[in-house]
Amino acid sequence: MTGRHPGGLTPAEEEFRGRVRALLAEDRVRALADEIAAYPPGTEATHLPVHRWLGERGWLAPNWPQEYGGAGLGAAEAAIVTEEMTLAGIPDDVHVLSIDIVGRFLLEVGTEEQKKRHLPALAAGEEIATVLFTEPDAGSDLSALRTTARRDGDGWRLYGRKIYNMKSQYGEVALCAARTTESPVAMHGITLFLLPLRSPGVHVEPVPTLCNDRFNLVVIDGVRLTEADVLGEVDNGWALMNDLLQLERTGVDFHAKARRLLDLVTERAAATGRLADPAYALPLAALDARLRAGHAMAWQQVRNLGAGSPDPVGSAMAKWYVTEQIRPVLDLALEVCGLEAALTAWDGAAPDGGVLEAGLRMGPSHRLASGTSEVMLTLIATNALGLL
Amino acid sequence: MTTAVLDELRELFGQELAPVLRRLGERPRGAADGPAARLGEEDAGTRDAVWATLAELGAFGPHREAERVAIAELMGAALYQSPYADTVTAAALLAATGDPAYGPLLDEAARGAAAVALAVREDGLSGPARPGPLTVHREADGYAVSGRRPFTAFAADCGHLAVVGAGSDGEPVLALVPRERPGVRLTRRDDIGRGDLYAVELDRAAVSGAVHPVGALWPAVLAAARVRQAAALAGAARAAVELAAERLRSRQAFGQPLARQQAPAHRLAALAAEAATAAAFARSVAAAADRGEDVRATAAQVLYLAGDLARRAAAESVHLHGAHGMTEACDAQLFLRRAAVDSQWLGTGTELLREAAALLSDTPNPR
Repeated sequence: MTGRHPGGLTPAEEEFRGRVRALLAEDRVRALADEIAAYPPGTEATHLPVHRWLGERGWLAPNWPQEYGGAGLGAAEAAIVTEEMTLAGIPDDVHVLSIDIVGRFLLEVGTEEQKKRHLPALAAGEEIATVLFTEPDAGSDLSALRTTARRDGDGWRLYGRKIYNMKSQYGEVALCAARTTESPVAMHGITLFLLPLRSPGVHVEPVPTLCNDRFNLVVIDGVRLTEADVLGEVDNGWALMNDLLQLERTGVDFHAKARRLLDLVTERAAATGRLADPAYALPLAALDARLRAGHAMAWQQVRNLGAGSPDPVGSAMAKWYVTEQIRPVLDLALEVCGLEAALTAWDGAAPDGGVLEAGLRMGPSHRLASGTSEVMLTLIATNALGLL
Repeated sequence: MTTAVLDELRELFGQELAPVLRRLGERPRGAADGPAARLGEEDAGTRDAVWATLAELGAFGPHREAERVAIAELMGAALYQSPYADTVTAAALLAATGDPAYGPLLDEAARGAAAVALAVREDGLSGPARPGPLTVHREADGYAVSGRRPFTAFAADCGHLAVVGAGSDGEPVLALVPRERPGVRLTRRDDIGRGDLYAVELDRAAVSGAVHPVGALWPAVLAAARVRQAAALAGAARAAVELAAERLRSRQAFGQPLARQQAPAHRLAALAAEAATAAAFARSVAAAADRGEDVRATAAQVLYLAGDLARRAAAESVHLHGAHGMTEACDAQLFLRRAAVDSQWLGTGTELLREAAALLSDTPNPR
């Protein structure tokens, strides 16, 4: 045993959670959360002041070394920040993209120069980094990507189209996967680049979505990059994507989103008297059980990460399990709240400020993001059960 | 408990012995009483050997709940049937009374030298959260009790019965009844799980020592037992999935191994994820119990999830074995049999959800 409470927090971690929670309970943060929830259509959460307030304390990326703007803490503290921000109603897209994915890649395989150039600004909440992996014809199967890096002297010129990415209209830099070498094996010859988004040759076009935030189509037309922009080794991008994307996949973030929604449903059930009716109370207790189970599983992955022994199968199980609960939570929201759950934030009379309605529109994204449910099941079937 | 001991327990309940353990206690259909009801010599020998090994490894001793759920998960995966689980629960309740008169029996139980049956249910409908009525008689030389406990596991193998019941004021009481005293009558049941179930009739059966009020103790003891039961069911679900995966890997259909087909593979992967998640939840609740937290609600919740899962995993395992899964030769049907009993042994899903729903407003969210 490590001396930590399995499934619980150490006293130091509890204390850290209390401090983060206290910051997020400040009036300025509550006002910001309310403002975000009421953003008019087309307005998105981007460079949020709350990210800077967390960043000032090293808490936006608490598990990063202090020299890069973190707090030198562990995976548990990073999970705590993720949970608390989501439960406080702060959108997590920028945090996931900048800190959990791009920042993680930089920390693991970036050069010292790349780290110094990007990490402190990301950890301070001053810059945003996004991810350009998916293409019109390459979604879950990233080996099918067609974006090409053509040799140009001592560097490359990138050509291609990336779609379904978020926040690229606001980002400073993007982690972009491109093919540097043609190979009969599709997974070979892919390289990761740090692409400056505000470059001539990068064109960002909106792709309106079901959700409040838009997707983007990013057209890359001959942007010149050099060795200094390569993250990791040339032609080794596939292995990096496979290895490092798993590290952001604990399920903690998705659990917090589901928990926030279920708590709202439970509050409405209590306020309307439906909590006293077993027809509503029993399904609520069942879903609460599933979320508690998912939380335990997600935190098991956090502990594995903290111990330096991430479990890809366990992570896939946690991600799959937790995101599969969101659909039934939203179904129950409609049962408990009826048409009230259909009122948007812009209606002005939604009893929950429109959070449930926004949750209904966001619902499908969770089973797609960060590896679809089917990709998770395939990973489990192959690696844990010897199938497929 | 050391890692080495846990490794030995893993080996004891591992792949090699599991096929034997799953069938321990099997009797011919309808063999409720009479000579056919007794274990075969070989099975009896194996069962004694496993019990002795458990004792040797210290599995009966005082452990943290986190360790107990680890043991329960291993036993559940092997479908190991024995008085172990109820002995642990009965011992916890006896110990919680603080009555020193139970000391010698508890010492024996901690060494694996004594087994105690837990007699709580008045009938098949009512769960253990509301123990059946028990009439307590004040006799010249002590106490005696009367009542029915028609679902008591392994009663014939146990020297004592820990009888929990609602006393005259409706509050739960505990009476320790030596099995071989007059007034104790056992009748073997015949159930789908082919377990060792007995109907116990108590007719002014003499009580060993006092009759204790346990209204304040039983809910916490039951909660801990439910978490262990949940871990066992999660283990059984995992093992049922693994058995089906083995079948898919070895079976050819439509010109290729069944393992290559995505539909069954994904269904098994989903069940495997649910089993791992239920086990993680059980470990988490056990750890909370070890920290002294009130786990009544979460214990009911984890058992609700694990019971439902064990039944679904068993049914899927039978299905993926095809018609072979319906045969006596196939172990998948054993999981289906046991899940029908074990999933509701400490409360049906609806009972558990009702209890959880009533308690949840006082149970903080995990964060």
